Amino acid sequence: MVWGFFVIMNKRMNKNKFKQFVDYLLKNNQVYAPQYNVEGYLHLNKLAKPEDLYLGTELPLDSWKWFMLLPYQKMFDYKGLEFKESLPKIKNQILLGVSILDLQALTLLNEVFAKDVYYEEIKKRTLVIGTSFLPEENFYEYFAKFEEDKLEHLQFDIFLAKQKYDYKIYTGSEDGQRLLDKFNFKDYQHIEYAGPIREEGLDAQMVAVKDGMQNYHDQKIWDDLGKRCMQCGKCTIACPVCFCFRMFDQSSLEKETGSKNRCWDSCFYNDFSKVAGASPVAPKHFLLNTTAQKIYFWYEHHFVRTPATYSLPGCVGCGRCTRTCPADIDIFQVQRDILAARARAQRKK
Amino acid sequence: MINEYKIYNCRILEIIPEGADSKTYTLSLPYRGFSFKPGQYVMASLPGFGEAIFGLASEMNDKKNIQITVRKVGTLTSKLHNKKKGDLIGIRGPYGRPFPIDLAKAKNVLIVAGGIGIPPLRPFILDALKNPKKYKKVYIFYGSRNESVLYYAKEFSRWKKVCDLNITLDNPQTKKYPKGQVTALFDIKNVPPDAIAFMCGPPVMYKFVIQKMLEQGFKPENIYLSLERHMDCAQGVCQHCAIGPYYVCKDGPVFSYAELMNFKSWLSPL
Repeated sequence: MVWGFFVIMNKRMNKNKFKQFVDYLLKNNQVYAPQYNVEGYLHLNKLAKPEDLYLGTELPLDSWKWFMLLPYQKMFDYKGLEFKESLPKIKNQILLGVSILDLQALTLLNEVFAKDVYYEEIKKRTLVIGTSFLPEENFYEYFAKFEEDKLEHLQFDIFLAKQKYDYKIYTGSEDGQRLLDKFNFKDYQHIEYAGPIREEGLDAQMVAVKDGMQNYHDQKIWDDLGKRCMQCGKCTIACPVCFCFRMFDQSSLEKETGSKNRCWDSCFYNDFSKVAGASPVAPKHFLLNTTAQKIYFWYEHHFVRTPATYSLPGCVGCGRCTRTCPADIDIFQVQRDILAARARAQRKK
Repeated sequence: MINEYKIYNCRILEIIPEGADSKTYTLSLPYRGFSFKPGQYVMASLPGFGEAIFGLASEMNDKKNIQITVRKVGTLTSKLHNKKKGDLIGIRGPYGRPFPIDLAKAKNVLIVAGGIGIPPLRPFILDALKNPKKYKKVYIFYGSRNESVLYYAKEFSRWKKVCDLNITLDNPQTKKYPKGQVTALFDIKNVPPDAIAFMCGPPVMYKFVIQKMLEQGFKPENIYLSLERHMDCAQGVCQHCAIGPYYVCKDGPVFSYAELMNFKSWLSPL
């Protein structure tokens, strides 16, 4: 009995030890973590000292994709016709304080970019430290509370599960174990990654929204959104799982040299859906002609296409798009509307 | 780890002018072991001018070279037209889901092409010429604007030996080919409705041709068509070519009409 108590106590990291741990991380790495700026907004920035770190239920305004999926990525340098691969040159980085919702987002990005050398290069140099803090209100029931068995479907290196006075420590990779070993903290519990897909399959709420969009289309929802949305594209930048990109060549002033690059794109921009030939669906060479069509395309990506392609939720419920939207479009309200339209149509049947 | 975006430089071995506005480029193989199926495409590029997709138009088991047909319409294609024999073009691929040619074995096949839609179907036609007994009967319905934009015209006599080639033109300049839309051919020719149809052309053509086919008793699952979208990555990531639950680059460009008919999205694919 006494022995069991001792073991449990040892699997935890108290406040002092945690501060030492953050100090230790800062010594050899670039650490990015949530911090309040002078205006009182929570952003992700390079951490200078442990006191600046915020670990809590509030989600930062920025998403972690800024560090994993660079906004601008040079892919090749060319000289004449010779292309030379240009991999991102980043130092080892630690993402500290990634909420479980954002871990879900990173897990999806890991799947989407599994074959992408540029993403993998960054992933190789990145250590992710997750936390069990969750926003106080969650639209998705799955994220309503933290449970240990949810960890096996998330990708992380170290995970801090908040207890009453301290953190229980889990590891999710050998890199995470090595780091803790070096810090001389050995009482962690290892979680074997069991793949991204949960035993019960797709999230039930996600399945219902997908079904609502595909089988019970309600034009009124999209017409209303079309009137409110101003196509600024801020939601696509704020979203942790918006990963669209555009590829372009950039010539330099020197003769026959330049680079092939990619950068984030937004489906709200006109050029996004440009096609060469005019057709009945693209009379002006654009497939997405109205605001309503654009916002529908955005929802379709998150709620239909991503679940269909990766069997993973295309929305993690962080609400960043809602917070950033100048027109106050609430993603959870839209989902409620889709589900209500579905319920109405099903009743009629 | 292989960089999926790696570009292979291919040498232009021959340039064949096609009609007034296009050229067929015979290129050296991008890499040893390169193979493709009819309907698949490559991304062709020139440094500084970006990339675009081109349907592979050559014989599918050719182990020496590949061919693409390029119509001069924009910056990249104009630059490609300026290239000479011996120059290099960047190629990556092949990508996409091909026409299901195995399904067509020992069956009647109907090829419907509109304008520049013929190149991705040419590998199939060349396959039928090489193996005349592989398919029961191959009908080709080819519609174009006028004589000057009939592609592969020099090969027509060869095609006719094995295939039933029928051509219509919107504005014929001579009396060699009849005036009319490609749909008119369905009234003249009796294609058995159990035929497998492979199509490539403008979306407006699909609309009327499919209507005609369904009237004549074709089954939606036997109608295959190739869609055109702007693509950046060609690997189902960048979202530019997304339609409903599909990506044209990866799940297409060839779709069966049955798939598109049950397309559960507000935004129509055609």
